Amino acid sequence: MSNKPKIKVLISVIGLDGHFTGAEIVSRFLMDSGMEVVYLGIYQTPEMIVNAAIQESVDIIGISSHASNYEQIGILMDLIKKSGLNDVPVMCGGSIPEQHARALKDMGVSKIFLPQSTSQSIINYITSTVKR
Amino acid sequence: MKSETDYGLEIKPVYTPEDIAHVNYDKDIGNPGSYPFVRGYHQNGYRSRVWTRRMTGGIGSSRRTNEQLKQFREMGQTQGILVICDRPSAMPIDADHPIGRREAGVLGWHCTSLLEFEELMDGIPLTGQSITLLGAAPMNPLRLGYIVALAEKRGLDWKEVHGSITEYPFGHIFGQTDNLPLDLNTKLWLDSAEFIVRNKLHLRSGILSQHFQESGGNNAQALAIEIAMLKELLGKLVNERGLDFDDLALIPYELVSIGSRFFEEIAKVRALRRMYAKMAKETLKAKTNKACQLLIAIHTSGRTMTYQQPLNNIARCAIQTLAGAIAGCTAIDNACLDNAYAEPSAFAARMSLNTQHIVSDETGVTDVTDPLAGSYFVEYLTNKVEEEAYKILHQIEDQGGMIAAVNSGFIRNMMLESARQKQKEIESGERLIVGVNELVIPPEEDDDIPIQSVGISDSEEIAQRMENWKKTRNIPLLNEKIAQVYCDAKKDAAYNLIPSIIEAVKAYGTAGEIIGVIRKAWGYHYDPLEMIDCPFDL
Repeated sequence: MSNKPKIKVLISVIGLDGHFTGAEIVSRFLMDSGMEVVYLGIYQTPEMIVNAAIQESVDIIGISSHASNYEQIGILMDLIKKSGLNDVPVMCGGSIPEQHARALKDMGVSKIFLPQSTSQSIINYITSTVKR
Repeated sequence: MKSETDYGLEIKPVYTPEDIAHVNYDKDIGNPGSYPFVRGYHQNGYRSRVWTRRMTGGIGSSRRTNEQLKQFREMGQTQGILVICDRPSAMPIDADHPIGRREAGVLGWHCTSLLEFEELMDGIPLTGQSITLLGAAPMNPLRLGYIVALAEKRGLDWKEVHGSITEYPFGHIFGQTDNLPLDLNTKLWLDSAEFIVRNKLHLRSGILSQHFQESGGNNAQALAIEIAMLKELLGKLVNERGLDFDDLALIPYELVSIGSRFFEEIAKVRALRRMYAKMAKETLKAKTNKACQLLIAIHTSGRTMTYQQPLNNIARCAIQTLAGAIAGCTAIDNACLDNAYAEPSAFAARMSLNTQHIVSDETGVTDVTDPLAGSYFVEYLTNKVEEEAYKILHQIEDQGGMIAAVNSGFIRNMMLESARQKQKEIESGERLIVGVNELVIPPEEDDDIPIQSVGISDSEEIAQRMENWKKTRNIPLLNEKIAQVYCDAKKDAAYNLIPSIIEAVKAYGTAGEIIGVIRKAWGYHYDPLEMIDCPFDL
């Protein structure tokens, strides 16, 4: 295990959302669990997120969202398909109502973490999803 | 389960006179209406005036929010309105900005032009009720312009309008959308506050600990942050703008976040009144009693509203509203039962207004002022949270004050560390939350509640309208007024921009345009997202 490269996770808040607490808490416990985290912060457009994912060759993308219009994530999923990043799963976390969660999954989002998801459940999901 | 306050003070099973033996009632507490105002500012408390019971409004277009406000009036909300702006306005960028059009109307009303304020207030009185507009500091000067312009159109004296339409420049440190650099944000806040004081307007400015606490900060930290912000901002108005403290003390109001830790929340508000009174008198040399009184409104906590079993949030909201009422305040607005999902639905808004009226009209809480005074436990907690807050305040002051502590990352780290701590306590079961880590039910059995939402088509419609409407404005007049704002913004930092901004607002200049040219004059990119160029020939 120790000589394997670390799992590399991109964490970003998307669009005009300024709520960074969730994304920063997740970034911290992922790092504490031994993963490498590329944390983009707030005011990231789908285009910026995809560019960073390509440049940093990340294994998985995590998007934090607290909004009522999930258009930005839809645009991100389209860009990911167009950029040939299909093997990079996208997970989302935040206060996402059930019908929006379903719509996001239909767009190709691999996993939705709802409010109060435990850190262990997120770590477990990433380690079991990222193929090494 | 832990028996500790949210800032880590161990709680004993019982409190006795010994715990408050050193307290001198007259000096340390005083009657309601007497310094240091622990017990509130009015001897008759709510018998003189019950707190303003209001709901948070603001969703989608100005027309849609106008309908919502009219609906709130029909439900019985007549003392005042509270409206929150959307994210593009908070940046600020206009709806027709490439990113604005993706999110216009999200989490509030889109309000980057006077046209939108006129539509918001269509058929709604500007006087006779408090007008509170919240969302982000960069909109402060625009909102001042809206009030002045609409009051003039309606033949009203500006001074007849009361409420709060400006707010502190630190929101973005605490998770609020706002992309104006802190130096410029602070300058525009000072301009707005100075304009209000010099023109004797009855408009307050929110210096809020709510956002800090909703992002994870604890009760003692919230007090320290609040006092640090007030000290710095009010101090600047005295020292940099030459205002008299007793005049400008009518400006600030605080929105306190009240969670479910009932006694601690009440103690926090009581301690805040004392801390502010002491700072006003001892540090800022207040001459009048009035200048030692910080106006306090309550926001019941959105952070405590769970996604799981949302109907449980009605109970939380009621407990928090009662705590806020007992603590003593001028107004309450609630995070609604659907807070973890979306903007409040009509159902959730009605539940929150009804909850407030159940508390004010059925429990007897309005009969007696500060009813928990003298409780060994509550007085002890009031002293302890204050003591802890002073320790943190001294750390902030050692950094050089609030702005320096923000710039060094001290404030943000403190908040994130506290948020992480709370998360750990929930995951370990040290803190129990019904429906989350106790009495959990399968998701398919969860409560079914109506969800209010804003879709991309709503955002696009707002953007399209703005794009078309912009072309119909008197362009030569607009260009002239915008050029004046730019020219004034190039002057000394203490030169007040509000008069020229009001003129540009009246010419229907938008927030994207007006704040854009000010940014440019200060050497920043016109567009906070650096995607569009300045359309004006300056």
